[in-house]
Amino acid sequence: MSDIIMHVDVNSAFLSWTAAYEQQIGFERDIREVASVIGGNEENRHGIVLSKSMKAKQYGIKTGNSLMEARQMCPNLLVVPPNYQVYVRASKALLEFLNTFSPDVEIFSIDECFMRFTDINREQSIKLAYSIKEQVKQIFGYTVNIGVSTNKLLAKMAGDFEKPDKCHTCFPEELKEKMWPLPVEDLFMVGRRTQPKLNRLGIYTIGDLANADFNLISTLLKSHGRLIYAYAHGHDVSTFKPPAPIKSVGNSSTLKFDVENAEKAHTIILSLVEMTAWRLREAGMVCRVVSVSIKDSNFAYISHQKKLPYFTDCTNDIYKNICSLFDRVWDKKSIRQMGVSVSDLEDAKFQQLSIFKDRNSLNNETLDKVIDKIREKYGDTAIIRGVFANRDLQPLLGGYPDDEYPGMSNIL
Amino acid sequence: MKILNQPIKVMAIFHPDGKIQPIRFRLDEEAVTVEKIIKSYEEKLVGNKRVVFVCLHNGKDIYELKYEIDSSIWFLFKK
Repeated sequence: MSDIIMHVDVNSAFLSWTAAYEQQIGFERDIREVASVIGGNEENRHGIVLSKSMKAKQYGIKTGNSLMEARQMCPNLLVVPPNYQVYVRASKALLEFLNTFSPDVEIFSIDECFMRFTDINREQSIKLAYSIKEQVKQIFGYTVNIGVSTNKLLAKMAGDFEKPDKCHTCFPEELKEKMWPLPVEDLFMVGRRTQPKLNRLGIYTIGDLANADFNLISTLLKSHGRLIYAYAHGHDVSTFKPPAPIKSVGNSSTLKFDVENAEKAHTIILSLVEMTAWRLREAGMVCRVVSVSIKDSNFAYISHQKKLPYFTDCTNDIYKNICSLFDRVWDKKSIRQMGVSVSDLEDAKFQQLSIFKDRNSLNNETLDKVIDKIREKYGDTAIIRGVFANRDLQPLLGGYPDDEYPGMSNIL
Repeated sequence: MKILNQPIKVMAIFHPDGKIQPIRFRLDEEAVTVEKIIKSYEEKLVGNKRVVFVCLHNGKDIYELKYEIDSSIWFLFKK
């Protein structure tokens, strides 16, 4: 008996969660019943659609549209602000609940996860999927889609077939019938960049891709082509990952105004690093790779990373290295969004001492610990860097739950 | 029945076996005694745990009290 994999996906997650929460706290309205979206704060330039109701979808509103575009498509659109505490709690509760069915639950994003069952046949698994779906609806008050298959890719594809509140299967022998007629952009990992390339080759459906010449796809799209070609055939070699230790920590933020000078950009990097380094220390890790990402006002994106000769969790060390990265990569265009992240993490308990570290590193590390304790006890902004005093910039930027849209990892 | 979801002051007994029993609460400067609890259950909407008490008043009126676990706040939910 081979493994059964289920993909559980919350239907319009942020919207459903908000709606269910509103019902709990006694709102009479149900935002799922009207054309509504969950949207960020437009004043802070976070004005995009994070999640939409089925009615709003009928107007052609897509996740990621700006709120202005959305309002043009649907004039009496209801815009509800997001509430990340509710989402994180909902996500955790769902995970806990799913864990009662199988110990193997892999979180894929805030609203999606995979479950693995090892000793179950197909009929049982379908019954189980329906029962999980109904129980979630009853206990938590929102609907999910469940895809059932033998690997993660097919389970995910099955979960996306028809929404909301449905269970679907997509076993390898059903592939031709269920997956191949779909447009190629519905295939996992085929996005807006790959779709036109495939269309130019006359590939419009997943079936077209599966029946295309492997060498052609491979030459044209390289490793990514080989990956989606395998996906189109339902082959997926990804293994089931147990809850993995974190691999990277990062924060990013869309800025309230475009930044044009390096000094200000450095200050913003500092505020992001303050948050990231704090989270890194909280997790008891040290990092060796630091990276910076910049999105300019034309939405062009660059990122750069660097490996350090030592492990560190020190705010100052990370900040200095990221600043030097930034200076090297920044093309002086006005900046809309900035992000920092650290990776190649190690447990902080045992460390190789390094002679390359800054002389003050040890002192700074002790200082960081003291600052962390003060912030924990008296609040995030109880102690801040001097550069932020009397300025319009936030001393700590980003965080978790984040003000950004929590993205999906692109690796199964 | 009207939905209020109003935070209120409540006197309750927390029994050693983990059961919670509301005794009296204050609504608009008036103390109301809980006459009878018809049923109680836990709701977990969106993962937010609340213990719900459906209670009887004047032998006929039904209202709901809710105790939110995360915030330790009592709500008069419906009256």
